[in-house]
Amino acid sequence: MFCFIALIVFAILGIFSASHRALAKEAFQCVFRRVTLRACNTGFKEKMQAKILGKLINRSSRVAKFVSHRFELLAWIFFILSIVSTVWVAKGVYDFYVYGNCNGLNSTGFCAFDPKGNNSAVSTISTRPCSLKPPTESDLTLKNVNVSLFPTKNTQAKNKVVLIGCYLCDYTRKAYPLIKKFVTENNVQYTFAHYPTKSASSYLTAYVDCAYQQNKDKFWEWNDKMFASSKEDLFKPEYVQSLLGKEGYDVGKIKACVNSQATKTLVNKQIDQLVGTGVYGTPTLFINGKAFVGPKPYRVYQFGLKPFLFF
Amino acid sequence: MDLQHIRQDFPLLRDNKIVYFDSACQSLRSQSVIDKIVEYYTDYPACGGRSMHKLAARVTEEVDAARATIAKFLNAKKKEEIIFTRNTTEGINLIANSLGFKSGDIVVTSDKEHNSNLIPWQVLAEKLGIKHLIVKSLPDNTFDLAAFETLLKKNKVKLVSIVQTSNLDGVTNPIEQIINVAHQHQALVSIDAAQSAPHEKIDVQKLDADFVVFSGHKMLGPSGTGILYGKQKLLDNLQPFLVGGDTVASSTYTEHEFLPVPEKFEAGLQDYAGIIGLAEAVRYLQKVGLEKIAQQEEELNEYLTTELLKLPKVKILGPEDAKQRGGIVSFYVEKVDVHQIALMLSEQGIMVRSGQHCVHSWFNAHQLKGSVRVSFYFYNTKEEVDRFVRELKKIMNVLL
Ligand SMILES: Cc1ncc(COP(=O)(O)O)c(C=O)c1O
Repeated sequence: MFCFIALIVFAILGIFSASHRALAKEAFQCVFRRVTLRACNTGFKEKMQAKILGKLINRSSRVAKFVSHRFELLAWIFFILSIVSTVWVAKGVYDFYVYGNCNGLNSTGFCAFDPKGNNSAVSTISTRPCSLKPPTESDLTLKNVNVSLFPTKNTQAKNKVVLIGCYLCDYTRKAYPLIKKFVTENNVQYTFAHYPTKSASSYLTAYVDCAYQQNKDKFWEWNDKMFASSKEDLFKPEYVQSLLGKEGYDVGKIKACVNSQATKTLVNKQIDQLVGTGVYGTPTLFINGKAFVGPKPYRVYQFGLKPFLFF
Repeated sequence: MDLQHIRQDFPLLRDNKIVYFDSACQSLRSQSVIDKIVEYYTDYPACGGRSMHKLAARVTEEVDAARATIAKFLNAKKKEEIIFTRNTTEGINLIANSLGFKSGDIVVTSDKEHNSNLIPWQVLAEKLGIKHLIVKSLPDNTFDLAAFETLLKKNKVKLVSIVQTSNLDGVTNPIEQIINVAHQHQALVSIDAAQSAPHEKIDVQKLDADFVVFSGHKMLGPSGTGILYGKQKLLDNLQPFLVGGDTVASSTYTEHEFLPVPEKFEAGLQDYAGIIGLAEAVRYLQKVGLEKIAQQEEELNEYLTTELLKLPKVKILGPEDAKQRGGIVSFYVEKVDVHQIALMLSEQGIMVRSGQHCVHSWFNAHQLKGSVRVSFYFYNTKEEVDRFVRELKKIMNVLL
């Protein structure tokens, strides 16, 4: 039995180290009784036991004796721990592949494959009303959001994607090219909700609404240019207006729209709805209702459209 | 014997880190032997006997000198009585295949033979129908001379092929008496001297031995070197074993003319470096002195035996009296796997052998799984024995 346990444990460790691969091979032979056919070859179990005890004896005879007398039991415990940890590692690898983080979608816990946490970094929303409880991933929902209040395109598509982000947020800016690629390459309904994380960028929401209302087609191009602009420029309303002008918008009308009561009411309504989503950082991308917080690798967004991979 | 000085001659012993108690399997090599091998490969790495150039002449000279050194070591009448082999096993196989055995011929061995001196006879029994008779040891595992005599009286024995010192328990058989008795009954005697040649003087003329075989690697020589001594008139009449290049004076497409001994038995290109190194090993042993070597081993054996007998669970194979066991202490600990002891000792830097030491037949007959074998050579010390005993006690405490 020991050989069998050792075979599995060393086979797993063998993935990472050559010396363990050799031991796995020996354990394999031991399992299939090949070892006993060779006269001068000793039993694998004895060999492993001697190696371990030989090391332990130098530290503490008592510990060595303890291990020696419970070797099989300890081997089993070690075996179970190895299996459990392997399942965890496998899950981590799967999670990283599918979610971009070893600890699951949107987790900010440490992940060896993404040690700096780039895939989960967000710009935290400081304009959000204080709440007693820190927000969590499970609170994120689009339940209270009426997408028709926000710029939306391709409304016939089955798959629905909602990006909550802001022009001045570092991580939305980082994620934007990939998200753009994602919504272009896939047949999805795409909604953009501008959610300013800092009050300095709050004024931009009204421009989004007004630009969208004035010309739905030109809006998306202007939107791309906004994300491509420098942060310094985006702090200046004149810059934003000039960009609208360049796109062929009637800037005078836009200005009037931005200052209108109706727009203010709309913006407040939008912010209310966005607060209701529970979003705590940008970018947050909802793919068919499932939230992806932070700039994820492209494959993760793609997997988002294949629900069977998500569990 | 200046042990400290001697130990400096052995690279592995210089820093006292490793305790090497497995010399019955292979001994360590002195620096002088290593240098001699390197000298061959660097200065004259050529063919002996065949080519005419200067380097080849040097090889021929050195091999010739090596043969003479070994002949002197055994007190052989002529150097031509020395045949270079790869090991003891090859020597025994040569005799088994060359002595002209036929159905019904009888070969006698002891019940403690190494597989090398057992399997060749079993194969001949199967192939040619020879009879292989075994002399059972006395209860203390020493040789039963009386039973041997009776056996020879009752049977017309062709060859007694017998181990001189057992690698199993270190017991040395009364080889002089064995030869006497055998010769009284017109039987030839072949001595497996693998475990005796490294430790005691073998005078083939005084013993009147017909054949003596041993390995170089158990007596400071390079690995894969061995010697077969045979009386010239016997060797002359033996059929060649391995044949081909270097064994014939000339050949036609249908016939050949064999060279005289020793060449007739040394087929193909030889291990020149090994042969030359082996002669250097012999010179080293002669310089230290075989008597002193035996004495040192005996002292160590007595010391270790005394210590082991204090441990109730330890059982020594063979007689308790260390004097009868040369440089070997073979033991087992009740209820403990012998390999485990050896492996754990190895973790502590102590090298011993464990298992059945290629004497499976004896272990199977005695229903024992194996033993731990400590085998000394003259370079071992009392301090090393102390270290061994200390570690063994610790291991037993952990395993029991
Ligand atoms: C008594 C005895 N005979 C024969 C042999 C075989 O020697 P080799 O393996 O060098 O042929 C040994 C080796 O341990 C031995 O101890």
